[in-house]
Amino acid sequence: MSEPDRVSLAFIWDTDSTRFSRRTFMRTMAFASAAGFIAACGSSSKGGSSAPPDVTSPEAKTLNFYNWTAYIAPSTIPNFQKETGIKVTYDNYSSNDELFAKMSAGSTGYDIIVPTDATLVKMIHADLVEPLDLSLITNIGNIEQRFRTAAYDPGNKYSIPWQWGTTGIGFDKTKVGGKVTDWDAFNLPAIKGKSSFLDEARDAFAMALFALKLDPNTTDTGDLDQAKDYLISLKKKIKTITSDYQDPLASGELLLSQAYSGDVFTIQVDNPKVEYIIPKSGAFSWVDSMAVPKDAKHPGNAEKFMNYMLEPKVGAALTNTVHYGSPNQAATPYIDKAILDNPLIYPPADVLAKLPFQKDIGEEELKYSDRWTEVKSA
Amino acid sequence: MTGSRAQTDAATKKPARSRRLPDWLAGNLLLLPTSVWFLVLLVIPTLLIVAYSLGHRGVIQPIRFTWGSLVWSNYKTALNPDFLPIFTRSIVYALVSTIACVLLGFPLAYWIARFSGRLRNLYLVLVIIPFLTSYLIRTYGWLVILQRNGVLNSLLGHVGLGNQHLFLNTHFAVILGLTYGFLPFMILPLYASIERMDKSLVEASYDLGHGKTSTFFRVILPSALPGLIAGVLLVFIPAVGDYVTPALLGGVKTQMIGTTIYDQFGSGNNWPLGSAMSMLLMLLILAGVFVYLSRVGEDAL
Repeated sequence: MSEPDRVSLAFIWDTDSTRFSRRTFMRTMAFASAAGFIAACGSSSKGGSSAPPDVTSPEAKTLNFYNWTAYIAPSTIPNFQKETGIKVTYDNYSSNDELFAKMSAGSTGYDIIVPTDATLVKMIHADLVEPLDLSLITNIGNIEQRFRTAAYDPGNKYSIPWQWGTTGIGFDKTKVGGKVTDWDAFNLPAIKGKSSFLDEARDAFAMALFALKLDPNTTDTGDLDQAKDYLISLKKKIKTITSDYQDPLASGELLLSQAYSGDVFTIQVDNPKVEYIIPKSGAFSWVDSMAVPKDAKHPGNAEKFMNYMLEPKVGAALTNTVHYGSPNQAATPYIDKAILDNPLIYPPADVLAKLPFQKDIGEEELKYSDRWTEVKSA
Repeated sequence: MTGSRAQTDAATKKPARSRRLPDWLAGNLLLLPTSVWFLVLLVIPTLLIVAYSLGHRGVIQPIRFTWGSLVWSNYKTALNPDFLPIFTRSIVYALVSTIACVLLGFPLAYWIARFSGRLRNLYLVLVIIPFLTSYLIRTYGWLVILQRNGVLNSLLGHVGLGNQHLFLNTHFAVILGLTYGFLPFMILPLYASIERMDKSLVEASYDLGHGKTSTFFRVILPSALPGLIAGVLLVFIPAVGDYVTPALLGGVKTQMIGTTIYDQFGSGNNWPLGSAMSMLLMLLILAGVFVYLSRVGEDAL
């Protein structure tokens, strides 16, 4: 299957919604991801027979950019092309699974990808991404400090942050029958059998660990067993475990869901009754970051693009379009006031302190996996 | 000189024979593509699953297989009583939808085969038409129909039966989805058997004094049996291991074995366990099919 076909397949589900199916699982699993994987297998075998890149000649003036759907400002690419004369080919994917599968197969031809932090860490460990030449990224000082030292990539050796968000609660404020401020909102009687949490082991466990006031990145088996019991008893009150909560939440099938911030802001456009909160006892925040795949042919151009994205006005234009938080501190003066003042996009410092990143815990993750299987089979 | 000699030689022999490959070779050559297909896409993957089911697990490297240390405990884990309800549920769902498919499919197949007249081919095409769209998309269709603000609830609301029923994420939704998805696999083989049935047998049965019920059980059903057996296998086997339907239409209480196996290759991070479960499911179904066929008679197929 050719690349344009695969992309258009992904678009069937993503028609003009802002990253609506950002992390959707089912759709991509059975659909774009499968197709993408096959495409990747095909292209990797072709890649093997193609001529090796000529290392002595300078890079061709092209850049192949692989990003989430509807996750860019209209001016971003045209201005970069004008400034540098580098021609950008822009393709989209709609889940980390899809991206990871494609990158594992190798030789995709892309120069920049935008994995989420946990996926980025997996890629670093699996040796799928190239270290950056930071001397080419002169604007690196524009990155906000907490993204320079974050556990997923301390010192930005492999990645430059793109946008960030949180994993909280989305709910229909007219029907939940109470105030939603924290994870205990799942106990509201009005939503019994009408709620969902994410089909992602670490996200679901983080919810339980936050609610139990435990470390959301714990590897302590006692803590994890408590969290497991919490989730098993919570399971009796919910409707389903799913990462595909967007449509049901928008249509009223689900009244309350563990949800990614941006997804809910998108739902709000169609259904203003749906609201998002960052739970009081804490939640995970996440970052999507630009990285260079191992087999990239134009890493220099990729680094130029990363540097360009860190320019104040370029970074601001992105956030003004997609309504996610910008890791580009220098962009702040140019970001719309409404976005900066929205505490759900830009949480105040005391809230931010309770929004850690998901830590990479290596093989300890199996402790989560096993308990997650128990939760799901219970 | 030599050229004309060869020509006469060829002419004296039976010409067709000399140019043709020996029968055994021709037969094997014709089978070759299929054999390669089966080897590459069935035998090797199955052996890989067996190997995986005896491997070590990991996060970054999801599977490590070494001859030196085979991990038999994956099978022990797969047989853990925690998973028993999921196996049982999968079998019950599949059985109920198979029965539903028989009850829905038999009358339709019978009617198309015996009474649909000139439009018979049209009706058969109508049975097959759903296959023109992906199963996944059709299952999404059911999502729209069954959801709280969906088509079914608004229809029920119009006739005064209330419009807030919960259909989605229930046993009902999963069984409905399975029945819908596999019904054509029941209808088509049933149609083929009934269509071949000698109509005069039915008349003879009436003439000899049998009633409708008795004729059905003693004449029609035995004639349709090969199709029925094939249909039951074609519906039951894929239904037990189905993944899409419980994942989309099911909820927290409707986990099936297909979903559990899938999870082992994702968030469960346990490829060896997923592989062991697949092997067990395969053996379980094989054993079931074996018992079933030995009961109902292999020659009926």
